[in-house]
Amino acid sequence: MKNRLKVLRAERNWSQQDLANELGVSRQTINAIETEKYDPSLPLAFKIAQLFARAVEDIFTP
Amino acid sequence: MLTPLLHRKRKLANEASKGVVGEMGDAVQQTRQIYGARLLVRGLLWISVFLLARGLLELGIPSSPARIAVALLPTPFFGWYLWTWMKGVSRMDEMQRRIELEALGFAFPSALLVLATLGLLDVATTFDANDFSIRNTWLMMPMLYYIGLWLAKRRYQ
Repeated sequence: MKNRLKVLRAERNWSQQDLANELGVSRQTINAIETEKYDPSLPLAFKIAQLFARAVEDIFTP
Repeated sequence: MLTPLLHRKRKLANEASKGVVGEMGDAVQQTRQIYGARLLVRGLLWISVFLLARGLLELGIPSSPARIAVALLPTPFFGWYLWTWMKGVSRMDEMQRRIELEALGFAFPSALLVLATLGLLDVATTFDANDFSIRNTWLMMPMLYYIGLWLAKRRYQ
């Protein structure tokens, strides 16, 4: 699944660790999502969408 | 010697989880460090008791109830180690849990495959009981788990 997480994170000048801290996950998880090696669960995807004030489908596309 | 260090780390993790030291991610990091240290200490404790029990049994304790008691001696320590591992897994995030699951998903069928193959080979060519008894073959299970863990981690890196 493709996503815009890296772009959204860069817009806010956040490091992967900053984002991981906000979401309560490890930095490795953020890296795996950004590199599209891991698809987050629905609750985590909604948490990400809420954090960036976007709809889930604006961030993740199949 | 490690106990004060563990208490300090636990205190830091508690403070972090309450938002005193850092945010949620810091607490996750602290928890992982504590989990790793506890797992290592309890794992070493279990291995030590296991080796002690095996040494005592091989020395030749004559009484049968005493032999059974010595053989069961490492069990609570292993239970403690497993409980620590399970508690650690419950505190992991979703991707780390998937990695653990994939590691076990590799280790369990691989162990079945190796045991079934060894069983058939034993029928075919009768292995030396000292090398291929349960007392030795169980060691391949943690080895297969760590191979599975390495493969799963590599997949998500």
